Amino acid sequence: MLISRIFNGNDAVYGLTEGAINDAIAQNGAECPVSFPNTAYCLPCYYAVTGVKVKTLGELKEALGVVKTLMTRNHELDDALMSGVATALCAEFIEVLKYLNGAAPYEEPCYGHLADAIIRELGVPLVTGDIPGVAVILGSAPTAQEGVDLIKSYQAQGILVTLVGGIIDQCAELNYNTGYGVRVVPLGKDVTSVIHVVSVAIRAALIFGNVTPGDAGALLAYTAQRVPAFVNAFKPIDDVILAAGAGAIKLGFPVISNETENIAEVPGALIQQLDVSKFNQTSLDARNIKIKITHIDIPVAFASAFEGEIIRRSEMQVEFDGSRVDCFELVQSKDVSEIEDHKIELIGPDVDTFEEGSKHSIAYVVEVGGKNMQSDFEPVFERKFHSYLNCIEGVMHTGQRDMIRVRISKTAFEAGFRAKDIGEVLYAKIKNDFEAVVDKCQVKIYTEPAECTRLRHELAIPMFEKRDDRLSNLTDESVDVYYSCILCQAFSPSHVCVVTPERLGLCGAVSWLDAKATNELDPAGPCQVITKEKPIDTELGAYEDVNEAVKKFSQGALEKVTLYSIMQDPMTSCGCFECICGIEPFSNGVIIANREYAGMTPLGMTFPELASMTGGGVQTPGFMGHGKHFISSKKFMKAEGGIERIVWMPKELKESVAERLNATAKELYGIDNFTDMIGDESIAEDPETLVAFLTEKGHPALGLEPMM
Amino acid sequence: MSEFKLTTVEENEAATERLLETGAKVGADAWQFRVKNQTPHCKFGEQGICCRICSMGPCRITPKAPRGICGCDAHGIAGRNFLRFTAGGSATHSDHGREICHTLHTVSPDGNYKVKDPEKLIRIAKEWGVETEGKDVYALAHEMSELALLEYGKPFGVQRFLKRAPKHTQELWAAAGIEPRAIDREVSTAMHMTHMGCSSKPEALVKQALRCGLSDGWGGSMCGTEFSDVMFGTPKPIETEANLGVMVEENVNIIVHGHDPSLSEMICEYADDPEMIAYAKEMGAKGITVSGVCCTSNEVAMRRGIPMAGNFLQQENVVLTGACEAIVVDVQCIFPALGPLSKCFHTKFITTSEIAQMPDSDFVKFSAETAGENAKSIVKLACENFKNRKPELVHIPNLKKKATVGYSLEAIKKTLDTVTNSHVDETGTLMPLVDCLKSGVLRGAVAMVGCNNPRVRPDTAHIELMKKLIANDVILVLSGCSAQAAAKAGLMDKEAKNLCGAGLKRVCELADIPPVLHMGSCVDISRMMVLSSDLANDYGCNISQLPLVGCAPEWMSEKAVSIGNYVISTGIDTYLGVEPQISGSSQMEELLYDKVSDWVEASYTVEKDIDKLGDLMIERIEEKRTALGI
Repeated sequence: MLISRIFNGNDAVYGLTEGAINDAIAQNGAECPVSFPNTAYCLPCYYAVTGVKVKTLGELKEALGVVKTLMTRNHELDDALMSGVATALCAEFIEVLKYLNGAAPYEEPCYGHLADAIIRELGVPLVTGDIPGVAVILGSAPTAQEGVDLIKSYQAQGILVTLVGGIIDQCAELNYNTGYGVRVVPLGKDVTSVIHVVSVAIRAALIFGNVTPGDAGALLAYTAQRVPAFVNAFKPIDDVILAAGAGAIKLGFPVISNETENIAEVPGALIQQLDVSKFNQTSLDARNIKIKITHIDIPVAFASAFEGEIIRRSEMQVEFDGSRVDCFELVQSKDVSEIEDHKIELIGPDVDTFEEGSKHSIAYVVEVGGKNMQSDFEPVFERKFHSYLNCIEGVMHTGQRDMIRVRISKTAFEAGFRAKDIGEVLYAKIKNDFEAVVDKCQVKIYTEPAECTRLRHELAIPMFEKRDDRLSNLTDESVDVYYSCILCQAFSPSHVCVVTPERLGLCGAVSWLDAKATNELDPAGPCQVITKEKPIDTELGAYEDVNEAVKKFSQGALEKVTLYSIMQDPMTSCGCFECICGIEPFSNGVIIANREYAGMTPLGMTFPELASMTGGGVQTPGFMGHGKHFISSKKFMKAEGGIERIVWMPKELKESVAERLNATAKELYGIDNFTDMIGDESIAEDPETLVAFLTEKGHPALGLEPMM
Repeated sequence: MSEFKLTTVEENEAATERLLETGAKVGADAWQFRVKNQTPHCKFGEQGICCRICSMGPCRITPKAPRGICGCDAHGIAGRNFLRFTAGGSATHSDHGREICHTLHTVSPDGNYKVKDPEKLIRIAKEWGVETEGKDVYALAHEMSELALLEYGKPFGVQRFLKRAPKHTQELWAAAGIEPRAIDREVSTAMHMTHMGCSSKPEALVKQALRCGLSDGWGGSMCGTEFSDVMFGTPKPIETEANLGVMVEENVNIIVHGHDPSLSEMICEYADDPEMIAYAKEMGAKGITVSGVCCTSNEVAMRRGIPMAGNFLQQENVVLTGACEAIVVDVQCIFPALGPLSKCFHTKFITTSEIAQMPDSDFVKFSAETAGENAKSIVKLACENFKNRKPELVHIPNLKKKATVGYSLEAIKKTLDTVTNSHVDETGTLMPLVDCLKSGVLRGAVAMVGCNNPRVRPDTAHIELMKKLIANDVILVLSGCSAQAAAKAGLMDKEAKNLCGAGLKRVCELADIPPVLHMGSCVDISRMMVLSSDLANDYGCNISQLPLVGCAPEWMSEKAVSIGNYVISTGIDTYLGVEPQISGSSQMEELLYDKVSDWVEASYTVEKDIDKLGDLMIERIEEKRTALGI
């Protein structure tokens, strides 16, 4: 019965798709191109399953013929689930037709197709568990309130929520804030728009998992084992939804529903839960998602879902602004005897004495102590403050050190949020995340302007300077060991990062000090010591020890890597890299594109297209993923001549790295204002214009040996 | 994708050939030769129409002589033979159960036997209406043992365990007049009915055969299973290995063979004893390996992970390895051939039960009271025998497979609990299995049981049917020599999921189980009866409606007939690969293959073409699914 219903649903969707494609061809001709925006994977689901890139309507029609072959009709599970896959592919075809002729079919609040860049961004939080899961909510909840409560419950756990159908209107009805920033992404109102989240899961397999397009078995194993997604489908479940659900189940995503009519349960896959308020727990149990619980005693929610929340001036109760007044944040290690654990002190007036919308000074000093605490860990903890404070519902934090800005929203204030709560959050998170080295922790919050000024100059700035000295002395040569980082292996099983002082992890999130602290905190964890006692070629950054480590941690998938070359055994990427560089043959240089950049590069490829050249732990000479900070490193492609090979970067990226990059160029080559010689999208988006520009500026790359 | 491969029947046969070469060197006999000597078999016997019940005969029925001297026709003769065959099996299983009940009477906190699963004891006591509150577990065990023993001879009433069956099944039994009374009585009644000058009406004989079978499955066997669990622990999933390669050349090899776990449990206990291991080393071995043959092997594999050297038709092979120091046997399915065979090697053939005494064996009388001493002396004897090995005769075939065994009903429910959703489902039920059946993830289930029989190429029918069924998303529960055939082939390796249809594979992955579940020895088919009862209750239908069938493709013993009778009586259609000896009577065939279902909603099907047998089962399962509307 269940199987027959799936077949019926599949047949119905297939019929619609066939009609839609025929109509589109009749109107636009078979040569008319079809594509989703901002992806290098064409129709990602169809491409991943079959290995075939569909680019025109005519090819789409051929593809539909292939889909038909999946629709076998034996009354067995595999036939039913493959019909589910066929339904999903049909949905992708219907959706791509909406984008025909450059149309923008989705408007606020719906997103429709999601860009490759978003997936690359999701990589790290998914592996670290900051995003512990992905919920797909489909249909209308029994009441709008119940629907919103369910969404809220996932948000509070940091789960990324995607919405399809009636639930989107239910959110609007209650004015519930949605959007990628708060991790609630309305996809679209048609059931076929569910494919946009499926497409995310499938591209994750291509990007991080190095799954070969067309290897459906590996694809399904990847999504089932590594993408913690699940579906909540509200009744009524018709045959079409059931068929789409079968597709989800084939990908390994359980479906939880309150439907009871004409349906049979499948353990672990199709689960009845009549009580919508229990959808959350039932789903987490079904997908085996464990939520890391840090209970923090504050009057508002604390969850990674709020990390991207933006508080506009009009919504803000008070602001602490380090660009106008003296503010700073600091971690300071002290002797345990000097610390009273969990003491939170407010020195100065509290938020409720401030006028609405006013600006103030703030300084918070987190004092930590413990037997294994090292002062090198101070900046590691401190860099986490940004994320900690942003996870508070109604609090926004930007910047670091003495250039911070913190906003508290009116809603948070009204809920009772006060300055001391900042201390509660910092205390709880530091103790929870770094329990192996922090035995005791206390927090001092200063809001007295004079005290903030005094401490900034007497305590904070000298400390920052001391740290900077230490950092500038930290070079690849000055340390005895490097670290491996395999944090991403949950997602990208054969990738290994080698983290050195001058080369941070390609995700930008793991510096050598971070790796050192991680190793200290969890000696058997993702960061392991790599010795550097057996150099092969220090110019290339080739070491026997490094090769051995890479081979071991990649389970033999990788034989060797060099630290400083992008041509010879370049370091691999998981896929969540901040930037990618690729060789630009006409200028003997390289171009770099960052994840946020949506435009074209002189290589004729966008970031998503460049990014798709590598990732998943494979070596692609000439292309390499890396962190933003690495751009100004003296070790950046040192083997090929270093940073003087950089010929093009998006403007925004160029500006953000200019100061440090110019300093390095000055030091290495004596070039002043090196970034002025580097092209950007306002100068050139094609190689000819770029080379002309470089020639005019006398860019040093032009005089270098060709790289290949 | 996977390098996982089954061990083929051909590989097993090649290993056997190699062992028979050793046998030839020492002048050993083997069943393979005896089969040739016995072929062709007596047709009258095969058809069940030879009557030897009184000394006026034997009488044999032919077209020219359609009646025996007393006037009994082919139907009466075949029916009587069938009932006697059943009584033999029922008596055997039930007497095994009785031994267990007696052993239960000896349990004490510091004795040879203890109560390892007090929870189960209390659960059964409550089921039987025995007060458990504030009672010492051992006192309760003794009380339960006496009550259980009364089940064998109680003057009035029917078997206590019948209440475990669904109400509908109980009503069918009552209506057909086949509710088993005292266990021994059903055997006696069978013997009485078949005495010269009593019953010759096929219906009456078949009904008693069903009743006598039920007294085994829902009486004696069930006592055997349940109280073995109480004393030795209820099996839970455990890793082990199977096939001759489990024997270890440099160790003292002790083979346990037979059916009653009381002996083998003790042997295993002492083989683990540091004192004994030291003794083995003193004798020049590196250690002691105990492995099993037949159902004793199933018992200790399920509870201790003791490896399984082989099944029924491999019993001579263990001796032919030349590396077997002692083959210690208790009761049932032991070839008298082991006596003379052991004389060709250094092997000690040690019989232990007054029930199974054989020439050319060392008899060490085993009793519950002296079990520890007995076992120790046997292990010692084996160690001392190590030095008598003839190295030139030693050859252990390098064949073995991993197996996960130990799926008692309790363990199955516990495993299913792992796939439930703690916010939706109740635990301790079979609902996940019901859901899988309803949704079509699994098409059905087959309980495959039984022996080996040289009439079938050994293990082929078991293995080929299992492969076919799992590829069609049919899950299997196994016991006895069928289970060992699967384990030897590798079907109990969790990797065997790769041989399954997509639905069963999914279930295997989700529940982390192999596609064929080892439920125990042949008395443990009683577990399957409770499983099917609970499944019907959880589904909300009758047992006979479930997409579930029984199968014994290579059966040979009287016990198997008794089992078959209680399995069909429980409402489970049963498929046989070897014909029961009744073909001389059209009425008996009609009854067993058809009419019996009027009483119990299930019957036998015989098909010697194994592939067809598989098709028939799948067809029946699909019929039942259609009838249920799933």
